[in-house]
Amino acid sequence: MSRSAPRNKKTLWSQTGPTPRLLFGAFAIATIGLLGLTPREFFGFSIAWPYAALWGAVGWGRVGLSLRPMILLILFGLVQDVTFHAPLGCFVILNLLAYGASAAIADMFDVMNEPLVAILSPVLLFSGAFLLLWLMASTLEDHPVRVLPLFASLLTTGLAYAVFQKVFDLGRRPGELAGQAG
Amino acid sequence: MARLGRSGTKSQKRSPKRLILGVFIFAAIALVLAQSAPQVRTFFNPVRTTVGDQLGGKEGFNAWAWITGQAERERRIKELEAEVRNLSRYKAAAISMAERLEAYEEILNLMGEPPARGVTARVTAENDGPFAQTILANAGRAQGVEPGAIALNEGGLVGRVIQLGEYSSRILLITDFNSRVPVMGEVSGVRAILYGGRDGLGSLTDLPERDDFIEGERILTSAEGGAFPRGLIVGEVRKVGADWRVKFSMAERDGGYVQMIPPPEIRKPVELEVETPAIAASPAQGARQ
Repeated sequence: MSRSAPRNKKTLWSQTGPTPRLLFGAFAIATIGLLGLTPREFFGFSIAWPYAALWGAVGWGRVGLSLRPMILLILFGLVQDVTFHAPLGCFVILNLLAYGASAAIADMFDVMNEPLVAILSPVLLFSGAFLLLWLMASTLEDHPVRVLPLFASLLTTGLAYAVFQKVFDLGRRPGELAGQAG
Repeated sequence: MARLGRSGTKSQKRSPKRLILGVFIFAAIALVLAQSAPQVRTFFNPVRTTVGDQLGGKEGFNAWAWITGQAERERRIKELEAEVRNLSRYKAAAISMAERLEAYEEILNLMGEPPARGVTARVTAENDGPFAQTILANAGRAQGVEPGAIALNEGGLVGRVIQLGEYSSRILLITDFNSRVPVMGEVSGVRAILYGGRDGLGSLTDLPERDDFIEGERILTSAEGGAFPRGLIVGEVRKVGADWRVKFSMAERDGGYVQMIPPPEIRKPVELEVETPAIAASPAQGARQ
Protein backbone atom coordinates (compact mmCIF):
# COMPACT_ATOMS: atom_id res chain seq x y z
CA MET A 1 0.00 0.00 0.00
CA SER A 2 1.38 3.38 -0.99
CA ARG A 3 2.12 6.03 1.57
CA SER A 4 -0.45 8.80 2.10
CA ALA A 5 0.04 12.10 0.18
CA PRO A 6 2.05 14.80 1.97
CA ARG A 7 -0.16 16.84 4.26
CA ASN A 8 1.19 20.30 3.48
CA LYS A 9 0.25 20.16 -0.17
CA LYS A 10 0.77 23.51 -1.90
CA THR A 11 -2.35 25.19 -3.17
CA LEU A 12 -2.61 26.84 -6.56
CA TRP A 13 -2.85 30.27 -4.90
CA SER A 14 0.34 29.76 -2.89
CA GLN A 15 2.19 28.99 -6.12
CA THR A 16 0.83 32.06 -7.89
CA GLY A 17 3.18 35.02 -8.37
CA PRO A 18 2.52 38.64 -7.33
CA THR A 19 1.45 39.83 -10.80
CA PRO A 20 -1.46 37.37 -11.26
CA ARG A 21 -2.42 37.97 -7.63
CA LEU A 22 -2.42 41.72 -8.21
CA LEU A 23 -4.53 41.32 -11.36
CA PHE A 24 -6.96 38.97 -9.64
CA GLY A 25 -7.31 41.37 -6.70
CA ALA A 26 -7.87 44.30 -9.06
CA PHE A 27 -10.53 42.30 -10.91
CA ALA A 28 -12.25 41.49 -7.60
CA ILE A 29 -12.22 45.18 -6.59
CA ALA A 30 -13.59 46.28 -9.97
CA THR A 31 -16.36 43.66 -9.84
CA ILE A 32 -17.41 44.49 -6.28
CA GLY A 33 -17.23 48.21 -7.07
CA LEU A 34 -19.41 47.89 -10.16
CA LEU A 35 -21.94 45.73 -8.30
CA GLY A 36 -22.08 48.45 -5.66
CA LEU A 37 -23.40 50.91 -8.23
CA THR A 38 -26.61 48.94 -8.68
CA PRO A 39 -29.51 49.41 -6.30
CA ARG A 40 -28.80 47.25 -3.25
CA GLU A 41 -32.04 46.67 -1.43
CA PHE A 42 -33.19 43.25 -0.35
CA PHE A 43 -36.64 42.93 1.21
CA GLY A 44 -36.58 46.59 2.12
CA PHE A 45 -33.15 46.46 3.79
CA SER A 46 -30.43 48.61 2.31
CA ILE A 47 -27.00 46.97 2.27
CA ALA A 48 -23.94 49.02 3.18
CA TRP A 49 -21.52 48.34 0.36
CA PRO A 50 -17.81 47.94 1.10
CA TYR A 51 -15.18 50.36 -0.23
CA ALA A 52 -13.42 47.61 -2.16
CA ALA A 53 -10.38 49.66 -3.20
CA LEU A 54 -9.37 49.89 0.46
CA TRP A 55 -8.94 46.11 0.53
CA GLY A 56 -6.33 46.49 -2.17
CA ALA A 57 -4.68 49.43 -0.41
CA VAL A 58 -4.39 47.57 2.89
CA GLY A 59 -3.62 44.13 1.43
CA TRP A 60 -1.15 45.15 -1.26
CA GLY A 61 0.67 47.48 1.12
CA ARG A 62 1.57 44.58 3.43
CA VAL A 63 4.48 43.55 1.21
CA GLY A 64 5.89 47.05 0.76
CA LEU A 65 5.57 49.81 -1.80
CA SER A 66 5.37 49.13 -5.50
CA LEU A 67 4.46 51.19 -8.51
CA ARG A 68 1.79 48.98 -10.09
CA PRO A 69 -0.51 48.84 -7.05
CA MET A 70 -0.14 52.63 -6.73
CA ILE A 71 -1.29 53.13 -10.33
CA LEU A 72 -4.20 50.73 -9.84
CA LEU A 73 -5.23 52.52 -6.64
CA ILE A 74 -5.09 55.89 -8.42
CA LEU A 75 -7.35 54.51 -11.19
CA PHE A 76 -9.80 53.03 -8.68
CA GLY A 77 -9.75 56.29 -6.74
CA LEU A 78 -10.63 58.34 -9.82
CA VAL A 79 -13.52 56.00 -10.66
CA GLN A 80 -14.74 56.24 -7.06
CA ASP A 81 -14.53 60.05 -7.26
CA VAL A 82 -16.75 60.05 -10.33
CA THR A 83 -19.27 57.53 -9.00
CA PHE A 84 -19.54 59.17 -5.58
CA HIS A 85 -19.67 62.62 -7.18
CA ALA A 86 -16.72 63.69 -5.05
CA PRO A 87 -14.11 66.23 -6.14
CA LEU A 88 -11.54 64.37 -8.27
CA GLY A 89 -8.64 63.22 -6.15
CA CYS A 90 -10.39 62.58 -2.81
CA PHE A 91 -10.49 58.81 -3.05
CA VAL A 92 -7.05 58.81 -4.69
CA ILE A 93 -5.65 60.47 -1.55
CA LEU A 94 -7.54 58.02 0.64
CA ASN A 95 -6.37 54.91 -1.24
CA LEU A 96 -2.76 56.04 -1.48
CA LEU A 97 -2.56 57.08 2.17
CA ALA A 98 -4.03 53.75 3.27
CA TYR A 99 -1.54 51.99 0.99
CA GLY A 100 1.40 53.99 2.33
CA ALA A 101 0.29 53.49 5.94
CA SER A 102 -0.12 49.76 5.38
CA ALA A 103 3.39 49.56 3.91
CA ALA A 104 4.79 51.62 6.79
CA ILE A 105 3.19 49.33 9.39
CA ALA A 106 4.46 46.27 7.51
CA ASP A 107 7.93 47.81 7.51
CA MET A 108 7.89 48.32 11.27
CA PHE A 109 6.13 45.17 12.45
CA ASP A 110 5.82 41.59 11.31
CA VAL A 111 2.26 41.74 10.00
CA MET A 112 2.45 38.23 8.55
CA ASN A 113 3.36 36.26 11.66
CA GLU A 114 2.32 38.35 14.68
CA PRO A 115 -1.39 37.61 15.23
CA LEU A 116 -2.05 40.76 17.26
CA VAL A 117 -0.48 43.02 14.64
CA ALA A 118 -2.15 41.10 11.83
CA ILE A 119 -5.56 41.84 13.39
CA LEU A 120 -4.92 45.33 14.72
CA SER A 121 -3.26 46.83 11.68
CA PRO A 122 -6.23 46.40 9.24
CA VAL A 123 -8.61 47.60 11.97
CA LEU A 124 -6.52 50.72 12.47
CA LEU A 125 -6.03 51.28 8.76
CA PHE A 126 -9.71 50.94 7.87
CA SER A 127 -10.80 53.10 10.82
CA GLY A 128 -8.24 55.74 9.89
CA ALA A 129 -9.28 55.67 6.25
CA PHE A 130 -12.96 56.11 7.08
CA LEU A 131 -12.18 58.87 9.58
CA LEU A 132 -10.17 60.64 6.88
CA LEU A 133 -13.00 60.14 4.40
CA TRP A 134 -15.49 61.63 6.85
CA LEU A 135 -13.20 64.60 7.48
CA MET A 136 -12.63 65.21 3.76
CA ALA A 137 -16.30 64.86 2.90
CA SER A 138 -17.38 67.13 5.76
CA THR A 139 -14.81 69.76 4.81
CA LEU A 140 -15.60 69.71 1.11
CA GLU A 141 -19.38 69.54 1.57
CA ASP A 142 -19.39 72.34 4.19
CA HIS A 143 -21.35 70.33 6.75
CA PRO A 144 -20.71 67.27 8.91
CA VAL A 145 -21.83 64.36 6.72
CA ARG A 146 -23.76 61.37 8.06
CA VAL A 147 -21.66 59.00 10.14
CA LEU A 148 -23.97 55.98 10.20
CA PRO A 149 -23.71 54.94 6.51
CA LEU A 150 -19.94 55.36 6.69
CA PHE A 151 -19.75 53.30 9.83
CA ALA A 152 -21.88 50.58 8.23
CA SER A 153 -19.59 50.58 5.20
CA LEU A 154 -16.56 50.42 7.51
CA LEU A 155 -17.98 47.30 9.16
CA THR A 156 -18.77 45.68 5.80
CA THR A 157 -15.34 46.55 4.43
CA GLY A 158 -13.56 45.23 7.50
CA LEU A 159 -15.58 42.03 7.80
CA ALA A 160 -15.26 41.22 4.11
CA TYR A 161 -11.51 41.89 4.28
CA ALA A 162 -11.18 39.50 7.22
CA VAL A 163 -12.73 36.77 5.08
CA PHE A 164 -11.08 37.51 1.72
CA GLN A 165 -7.73 38.99 2.77
CA LYS A 166 -5.82 36.16 1.02
CA VAL A 167 -7.00 37.55 -2.32
CA PHE A 168 -5.11 40.79 -1.61
CA ASP A 169 -1.91 39.18 -0.38
CA LEU A 170 0.76 39.56 -3.05
CA GLY A 171 2.89 36.85 -1.46
CA ARG A 172 6.30 38.44 -1.66
CA ARG A 173 7.93 41.84 -1.57
CA PRO A 174 8.46 43.81 -4.78
CA GLY A 175 11.71 42.73 -6.42
CA GLU A 176 11.96 39.63 -4.25
CA LEU A 177 12.41 36.37 -6.12
CA ALA A 178 10.27 33.29 -5.55
CA GLY A 179 11.61 31.29 -2.60
CA GLN A 180 13.26 34.31 -0.97
CA ALA A 181 10.21 35.32 1.01
CA GLY A 182 10.55 34.78 4.69
CA MET B 1 7.78 42.43 17.56
CA ALA B 2 9.83 45.06 15.80
CA ARG B 3 10.79 44.07 12.36
CA LEU B 4 13.92 44.84 10.42
CA GLY B 5 12.79 43.73 7.02
CA ARG B 6 12.44 40.29 5.53
CA SER B 7 16.10 39.78 4.82
CA GLY B 8 16.90 40.62 8.43
CA THR B 9 18.79 43.86 7.72
CA LYS B 10 17.23 47.28 7.82
CA SER B 11 17.47 48.98 4.46
CA GLN B 12 19.79 51.95 4.71
CA LYS B 13 18.59 53.79 1.63
CA ARG B 14 15.17 55.34 1.44
CA SER B 15 13.24 53.73 -1.35
CA PRO B 16 12.39 55.97 -4.34
CA LYS B 17 8.93 54.39 -4.23
CA ARG B 18 8.23 56.35 -1.07
CA LEU B 19 9.06 59.50 -2.97
CA ILE B 20 6.78 58.43 -5.83
CA LEU B 21 3.95 57.69 -3.37
CA GLY B 22 4.47 61.12 -1.79
CA VAL B 23 4.38 62.79 -5.19
CA PHE B 24 1.15 60.98 -6.10
CA ILE B 25 -0.51 61.96 -2.80
CA PHE B 26 0.66 65.56 -3.16
CA ALA B 27 -0.66 65.67 -6.74
CA ALA B 28 -4.04 64.31 -5.60
CA ILE B 29 -4.26 66.90 -2.81
CA ALA B 30 -3.36 69.64 -5.31
CA LEU B 31 -6.06 68.32 -7.65
CA VAL B 32 -8.69 68.45 -4.90
CA LEU B 33 -7.66 71.96 -3.86
CA ALA B 34 -7.59 73.18 -7.46
CA GLN B 35 -11.22 72.16 -7.84
CA SER B 36 -12.28 74.75 -5.30
CA ALA B 37 -12.10 77.12 -8.26
CA PRO B 38 -15.30 76.81 -10.33
CA GLN B 39 -13.36 77.19 -13.59
CA VAL B 40 -11.24 74.14 -12.78
CA ARG B 41 -14.29 72.18 -11.60
CA THR B 42 -16.17 72.83 -14.83
CA PHE B 43 -13.08 71.71 -16.75
CA PHE B 44 -13.59 68.18 -15.34
CA ASN B 45 -17.33 68.07 -16.06
CA PRO B 46 -16.94 66.50 -19.54
CA VAL B 47 -14.86 63.72 -17.97
CA ARG B 48 -17.53 63.08 -15.37
CA THR B 49 -20.37 63.04 -17.90
CA THR B 50 -18.45 60.71 -20.21
CA VAL B 51 -17.76 58.27 -17.40
CA GLY B 52 -21.37 58.63 -16.29
CA ASP B 53 -22.48 57.70 -19.81
CA GLN B 54 -20.29 54.63 -19.74
CA LEU B 55 -21.42 53.58 -16.27
CA GLY B 56 -25.08 54.28 -16.47
CA GLY B 57 -26.14 55.17 -19.96
CA LYS B 58 -25.71 51.98 -21.89
CA GLU B 59 -27.14 48.51 -21.54
CA GLY B 60 -24.73 45.59 -21.31
CA PHE B 61 -24.52 43.44 -24.44
CA ASN B 62 -25.77 39.91 -24.05
CA ALA B 63 -24.99 37.81 -27.15
CA TRP B 64 -27.27 34.90 -26.22
CA ALA B 65 -30.22 37.20 -25.59
CA TRP B 66 -29.55 38.94 -28.89
CA ILE B 67 -29.42 35.66 -30.86
CA THR B 68 -32.58 34.22 -29.33
CA GLY B 69 -34.49 37.49 -29.65
CA GLN B 70 -34.97 37.62 -25.89
CA ALA B 71 -33.27 41.00 -25.72
CA GLU B 72 -35.82 42.53 -28.08
CA ARG B 73 -38.72 41.03 -26.13
CA GLU B 74 -37.30 42.28 -22.85
CA ARG B 75 -36.80 45.74 -24.32
CA ARG B 76 -40.42 45.80 -25.46
CA ILE B 77 -41.64 44.56 -22.07
CA LYS B 78 -39.65 47.29 -20.35
CA GLU B 79 -41.13 49.88 -22.67
CA LEU B 80 -44.64 48.67 -21.94
CA GLU B 81 -44.00 48.50 -18.20
CA ALA B 82 -42.75 52.07 -18.25
CA GLU B 83 -45.85 53.09 -20.17
CA VAL B 84 -48.16 51.31 -17.72
CA ARG B 85 -46.41 53.01 -14.82
CA ASN B 86 -46.87 56.36 -16.45
CA LEU B 87 -50.48 55.74 -17.27
CA SER B 88 -51.45 54.39 -13.87
CA ARG B 89 -49.96 57.42 -12.20
CA TYR B 90 -51.82 59.79 -14.40
CA LYS B 91 -55.05 57.79 -14.30
CA ALA B 92 -55.47 58.14 -10.55
CA ALA B 93 -54.66 61.81 -10.60
CA ALA B 94 -56.75 62.53 -13.66
CA ILE B 95 -59.94 60.92 -12.36
CA SER B 96 -59.97 62.92 -9.16
CA MET B 97 -58.88 66.19 -10.62
CA ALA B 98 -60.39 66.42 -14.06
CA GLU B 99 -63.85 67.31 -12.88
CA ARG B 100 -62.74 69.96 -10.42
CA LEU B 101 -60.25 71.39 -12.86
CA GLU B 102 -62.82 71.74 -15.56
CA ALA B 103 -65.12 73.60 -13.23
CA TYR B 104 -62.40 75.91 -12.03
CA GLU B 105 -61.18 76.67 -15.52
CA GLU B 106 -64.68 77.50 -16.57
CA ILE B 107 -65.18 79.83 -13.63
CA LEU B 108 -61.84 81.56 -14.14
CA ASN B 109 -61.92 81.46 -17.91
CA LEU B 110 -58.43 80.00 -17.65
CA MET B 111 -56.36 78.39 -20.36
CA GLY B 112 -55.35 74.85 -19.29
CA GLU B 113 -51.71 73.89 -18.63
CA PRO B 114 -49.91 72.26 -21.54
CA PRO B 115 -49.34 68.51 -20.98
CA ALA B 116 -46.02 67.68 -19.37
CA ARG B 117 -43.45 66.23 -21.74
CA GLY B 118 -41.27 63.75 -19.93
CA VAL B 119 -38.73 61.00 -20.33
CA THR B 120 -38.92 57.90 -18.17
CA ALA B 121 -35.54 56.37 -17.38
CA ARG B 122 -34.16 53.53 -15.31
CA VAL B 123 -31.99 54.29 -12.30
CA THR B 124 -28.74 52.57 -13.19
CA ALA B 125 -26.48 53.71 -10.38
CA GLU B 126 -26.93 55.17 -6.96
CA ASN B 127 -24.63 55.83 -4.08
CA ASP B 128 -25.09 56.53 -0.42
CA GLY B 129 -21.56 57.79 0.03
CA PRO B 130 -20.55 60.73 2.13
CA PHE B 131 -20.60 63.21 -0.75
CA ALA B 132 -23.63 64.51 -2.64
CA GLN B 133 -26.54 62.06 -2.72
CA THR B 134 -27.12 61.48 -6.39
CA ILE B 135 -28.49 58.83 -8.72
CA LEU B 136 -27.65 58.13 -12.33
CA ALA B 137 -30.47 57.55 -14.83
CA ASN B 138 -29.99 56.03 -18.28
CA ALA B 139 -31.45 58.86 -20.33
CA GLY B 140 -29.67 62.01 -21.36
CA ARG B 141 -29.57 64.73 -23.93
CA ALA B 142 -30.11 62.23 -26.77
CA GLN B 143 -33.44 61.17 -25.22
CA GLY B 144 -34.60 64.76 -24.79
CA VAL B 145 -33.75 65.38 -21.14
CA GLU B 146 -33.13 69.06 -20.51
CA PRO B 147 -30.63 70.65 -18.11
CA GLY B 148 -32.27 71.19 -14.74
CA ALA B 149 -35.04 68.70 -15.51
CA ILE B 150 -37.24 67.61 -12.59
CA ALA B 151 -37.12 63.92 -11.65
CA LEU B 152 -40.20 62.20 -10.25
CA ASN B 153 -41.11 58.66 -9.30
CA GLU B 154 -44.37 57.00 -8.30
CA GLY B 155 -44.17 58.60 -4.87
CA GLY B 156 -43.39 62.15 -5.90
CA LEU B 157 -40.46 64.49 -6.36
CA VAL B 158 -37.07 62.76 -6.50
CA GLY B 159 -34.69 65.57 -7.40
CA ARG B 160 -33.23 67.67 -10.12
CA VAL B 161 -30.80 66.96 -12.96
CA ILE B 162 -27.46 68.55 -12.12
CA GLN B 163 -25.31 66.93 -14.75
CA LEU B 164 -26.40 65.92 -18.22
CA GLY B 165 -24.58 63.49 -20.47
CA GLU B 166 -25.47 62.27 -23.91
CA TYR B 167 -27.07 59.08 -22.56
CA SER B 168 -27.20 59.66 -18.82
CA SER B 169 -28.34 62.18 -16.26
CA ARG B 170 -27.10 62.69 -12.72
CA ILE B 171 -29.90 63.67 -10.38
CA LEU B 172 -29.29 65.45 -7.08
CA LEU B 173 -31.79 63.91 -4.65
CA ILE B 174 -33.99 66.13 -2.51
CA THR B 175 -32.69 64.11 0.45
CA ASP B 176 -29.26 65.70 0.00
CA PHE B 177 -28.20 68.31 2.52
CA ASN B 178 -27.30 70.76 -0.22
CA SER B 179 -30.60 70.53 -2.12
CA ARG B 180 -33.04 73.36 -1.53
CA VAL B 181 -36.68 72.97 -2.53
CA PRO B 182 -39.27 75.71 -1.95
CA VAL B 183 -42.31 73.94 -0.51
CA MET B 184 -45.71 74.64 0.99
CA GLY B 185 -48.25 72.82 3.10
CA GLU B 186 -51.14 71.50 1.03
CA VAL B 187 -53.80 72.60 3.53
CA SER B 188 -52.11 75.31 5.60
CA GLY B 189 -50.37 76.95 2.65
CA VAL B 190 -47.37 77.71 4.85
CA ARG B 191 -44.21 78.25 2.82
CA ALA B 192 -40.72 77.02 3.68
CA ILE B 193 -37.48 75.79 2.16
CA LEU B 194 -36.80 72.06 2.36
CA TYR B 195 -33.38 70.44 2.56
CA GLY B 196 -32.19 66.91 3.27
CA GLY B 197 -31.57 65.92 6.85
CA ARG B 198 -28.93 63.53 8.07
CA ASP B 199 -31.47 61.06 9.47
CA GLY B 200 -33.44 60.42 6.27
CA LEU B 201 -36.08 63.05 7.04
CA GLY B 202 -36.25 66.45 5.40
CA SER B 203 -35.68 69.61 7.39
CA LEU B 204 -37.51 72.90 6.89
CA THR B 205 -36.05 76.36 7.13
CA ASP B 206 -37.24 79.94 6.51
CA LEU B 207 -40.58 79.20 8.18
CA PRO B 208 -42.92 82.09 8.87
CA GLU B 209 -43.07 83.20 12.48
CA ARG B 210 -46.83 83.16 12.92
CA ASP B 211 -48.27 80.40 10.73
CA ASP B 212 -47.63 76.72 11.30
CA PHE B 213 -47.98 73.46 9.40
CA ILE B 214 -50.69 70.94 10.20
CA GLU B 215 -49.42 67.60 11.49
CA GLY B 216 -49.59 64.98 8.73
CA GLU B 217 -50.44 67.33 5.88
CA ARG B 218 -48.86 66.81 2.51
CA ILE B 219 -45.94 68.98 1.45
CA LEU B 220 -45.93 70.17 -2.14
CA THR B 221 -43.55 72.24 -4.20
CA SER B 222 -44.45 75.91 -4.16
CA ALA B 223 -42.71 76.88 -7.44
CA GLU B 224 -41.06 79.87 -5.83
CA GLY B 225 -37.77 80.60 -7.53
CA GLY B 226 -38.92 78.88 -10.69
CA ALA B 227 -36.76 75.75 -10.35
CA PHE B 228 -39.66 73.36 -9.67
CA PRO B 229 -43.22 73.39 -10.96
CA ARG B 230 -45.98 73.97 -8.42
CA GLY B 231 -47.86 71.15 -6.73
CA LEU B 232 -45.45 68.21 -6.96
CA ILE B 233 -45.77 65.91 -3.97
CA VAL B 234 -42.70 65.97 -1.75
CA GLY B 235 -43.84 64.21 1.40
CA GLU B 236 -45.68 64.49 4.69
CA VAL B 237 -44.90 66.88 7.50
CA ARG B 238 -44.57 65.69 11.06
CA LYS B 239 -43.45 67.20 14.32
CA VAL B 240 -40.21 65.79 15.68
CA GLY B 241 -39.39 67.46 18.98
CA ALA B 242 -39.71 71.18 18.39
CA ASP B 243 -39.03 70.97 14.65
CA TRP B 244 -41.14 70.23 11.64
CA ARG B 245 -39.66 67.39 9.57
CA VAL B 246 -40.71 65.95 6.24
CA LYS B 247 -41.06 62.26 5.47
CA PHE B 248 -40.17 61.92 1.79
CA SER B 249 -42.82 60.28 -0.40
CA MET B 250 -40.37 59.26 -3.07
CA ALA B 251 -38.59 56.89 -0.69
CA GLU B 252 -41.76 54.82 -0.18
CA ARG B 253 -42.48 54.16 -3.85
CA ASP B 254 -39.04 53.59 -5.28
CA GLY B 255 -39.58 51.35 -8.29
CA GLY B 256 -36.18 51.95 -9.85
CA TYR B 257 -37.50 54.35 -12.49
CA VAL B 258 -37.69 58.11 -12.67
CA GLN B 259 -39.58 60.38 -14.98
CA MET B 260 -37.73 63.53 -15.96
CA ILE B 261 -39.87 66.47 -16.95
CA PRO B 262 -38.54 69.75 -18.30
CA PRO B 263 -38.03 72.52 -15.76
CA PRO B 264 -40.67 75.23 -15.71
CA GLU B 265 -40.06 77.85 -18.31
CA ILE B 266 -40.69 81.40 -17.26
CA ARG B 267 -40.57 83.59 -20.27
CA LYS B 268 -39.24 87.07 -19.97
CA PRO B 269 -41.81 89.77 -20.46
CA VAL B 270 -41.68 91.24 -23.94
CA GLU B 271 -40.93 94.91 -23.98
CA LEU B 272 -43.61 96.81 -25.81
CA GLU B 273 -42.75 99.73 -27.98
CA VAL B 274 -44.09 102.80 -26.26
CA GLU B 275 -45.57 105.19 -28.75
CA THR B 276 -44.72 108.84 -28.13
CA PRO B 277 -47.97 110.74 -27.55
CA ALA B 278 -48.83 113.25 -30.24
CA ILE B 279 -48.41 116.84 -29.09
CA ALA B 280 -51.83 118.35 -28.71
CA ALA B 281 -52.49 121.29 -30.97
CA SER B 282 -52.64 124.59 -29.14
CA PRO B 283 -56.06 126.36 -28.98
CA ALA B 284 -54.57 129.26 -30.88
CA GLN B 285 -53.68 126.99 -33.84
CA GLY B 286 -57.19 125.57 -33.82
CA ALA B 287 -58.62 129.06 -33.89
CA ARG B 288 -56.45 130.02 -36.88
CA GLN B 289 -57.57 126.89 -38.79
